Amino acid sequence: MRFLPFFLSLTLAGLAALPLRADVPEAVNKVILPDLAAFTQATEGLARTASQGCDAQALKAPWNAAFDAWLKVQHFRMGPFEEGGRGLAIAFWPDPKATGARQMRALLAAQDPQFVTPEGAARLSIAARGLYGLSTLIWQAPQGDYACKLRAALADNLVRMAQAMEDGWRGGFAEQLLDPGADGHTLYLTQDEARQALFTQLIAGLEFNADQRLGRPLGSFDHPRPNRAEAIAEGRSLRNVTLSLRALKTLSDALAQGLGATPQTDAAFAHALQLAGDLDDPVFAGVETPASRLRIEILQQAVRDIRAKATGEIGALLGVSTGFNSADGD
Amino acid sequence: MVMQRRRFLGAALAASAVPTLSWADAGNPAYLAAAKEPDGSYALYGLGADGQPRFRQPLPGRGHAATAHPARPEAVAFARRPGTFALVLDCVDGRVLARLTPPQGRQFNGHGAYSGDGRVLYTSEVVAEGSKGMIGLWDAARGYRRLGEIESHGIGPHEIRRLPGSEVLVVANGGIETDPQDRTPLNLDRMRPNLAYVSPEGQLLDQVELPELRQNSIRHLAVRADGQVAFAMQWQGDLFEPVPLLGLHRRGALPVLAQPLPGEELAMKGYAGSVAFAPGGQNVAITSPRGGRVQGFGPDGTALWSVARADICGLGPGRAGFVATDGQGVVASLEGGALRVLTHAPLAWDNHLVALTQG
Repeated sequence: MRFLPFFLSLTLAGLAALPLRADVPEAVNKVILPDLAAFTQATEGLARTASQGCDAQALKAPWNAAFDAWLKVQHFRMGPFEEGGRGLAIAFWPDPKATGARQMRALLAAQDPQFVTPEGAARLSIAARGLYGLSTLIWQAPQGDYACKLRAALADNLVRMAQAMEDGWRGGFAEQLLDPGADGHTLYLTQDEARQALFTQLIAGLEFNADQRLGRPLGSFDHPRPNRAEAIAEGRSLRNVTLSLRALKTLSDALAQGLGATPQTDAAFAHALQLAGDLDDPVFAGVETPASRLRIEILQQAVRDIRAKATGEIGALLGVSTGFNSADGD
Repeated sequence: MVMQRRRFLGAALAASAVPTLSWADAGNPAYLAAAKEPDGSYALYGLGADGQPRFRQPLPGRGHAATAHPARPEAVAFARRPGTFALVLDCVDGRVLARLTPPQGRQFNGHGAYSGDGRVLYTSEVVAEGSKGMIGLWDAARGYRRLGEIESHGIGPHEIRRLPGSEVLVVANGGIETDPQDRTPLNLDRMRPNLAYVSPEGQLLDQVELPELRQNSIRHLAVRADGQVAFAMQWQGDLFEPVPLLGLHRRGALPVLAQPLPGEELAMKGYAGSVAFAPGGQNVAITSPRGGRVQGFGPDGTALWSVARADICGLGPGRAGFVATDGQGVVASLEGGALRVLTHAPLAWDNHLVALTQG
């Protein structure tokens, strides 16, 4: 069978040629794991405040701190993020049918005591939990004992999810990326696949900012949708884009570490961050006015340009590209 | 080995002058799959149940899916959409037996099926302008001459299957009108996909629409021996709106839409690339290269398991479950939600893994 050597050769070649490169270990050990720990800590701060009293106002600062920390890890939509929809339960947005708000209203109306325990909160729909469930309870600040207990229960549930995600990475998932194919793991079989996986998170993270965080409020020129921006009540739609881009720049740097320079990608990040910094429109309310809309469109274009530059430059350094079938779409 | 047998058979056949090669002469492949080679060229492979190659035939461009003649070792490899070619290959010696070109103003849509006796090849086609669905008929008994065409009864048909033990064709009319030059969709706000059952004469026998999910393009099909059809969909609406991507249907009954496991609602990224039944039809699964997922379901559509693997797309029945292929060159078995690598080669497997053992 003349094909046999060809089909078996990859595993051998893969084992023979493992250059010492920093990319995946750099990203996992110096970025992902510390940032996951920081997110867990931030949620603990929020839960502590929530357990100490019923003043919703007092939760705004720790909630914002937790959301800031979340933006550093939100784009790692893999492994422990995906188990049971955990990442979505931490931050359920976009929510095109406003499922979260509907469920929160029903929850507050029913006042069912089973959901204000740690176990009960875990049984709630993912749309009602996490940072967004808490946001409604903090910014709309419903009064009463039940809302207060629900805040504490959801904050506690958020800590558990953050901790579970961190534990998932430390307790095996990081190892699957660092030592792909070992111990019978089949999610990633080679270093190239692990590299590709992190590269995919970078690209998808950039797309999320362009298509969702900016694209949803932009809508179309004839139908702008300012109320579809993210975190409007909390006044941080633009801040989320900025912090997310900074975090993606850190990931981009880690992936390219030791492999070569990425001047085009770096310049594209700098340009987009400059535009975001100059934009005085925290919740993208300007999408309805031509002049201010244009500035948001230019920012979206700049984020798409980072994607294009990173795909070419970092993709080439890592020797990976976007998926053969996923890019085809048929 | 293949060549030796071929030579031996060649000698034997010269004596008897009855050219009746069978799939055994092509190494008894269990599957067909198109691939991109490391040098950027394309090929069609025959794969054994163990994932090892049984034959390899070069293709002039990127393939999409293939269909196998029920008796003769012939396979039709279809080009990626918008398709300008389909090649009928002799899977024993690699000869191109026929090169099918769609008539003027028509395009192949990547899939096809044979009649039960193997005398007619049906090809999924569109009228380039407007994407009206057609099914081309080709004379597989006599050099693949074009016999004619019938309507698919929808816009933008994609996969076609023949119901086992019957000549009825089931067609996934995806509903999407595309630009004839590229694949830009033109009608996402008014698309109306359907699942159509069509007689070989072109009569519409049954049609299923999902009025609540008009933007869910019905694109890929699997058929069970008893006539149960599984259809896989691709959501063209808001990707953050969870919608079912697998449907089950049997003629005369209402369709059943399958919900994924809790927490898996958005995992497929609104996209199912292939669908298959396990042997005996006890389970059905769909793949998503975009979500990097395979989701398994029971025969009634109950979600059973989910497996993660990047760019996974090709899917067919395996020994006790499924066999899947991915863009990283892996052929893997999937049994009870556990993925096991069968082979791993330096090539990228294209969208579909076509089983040769079905009705």
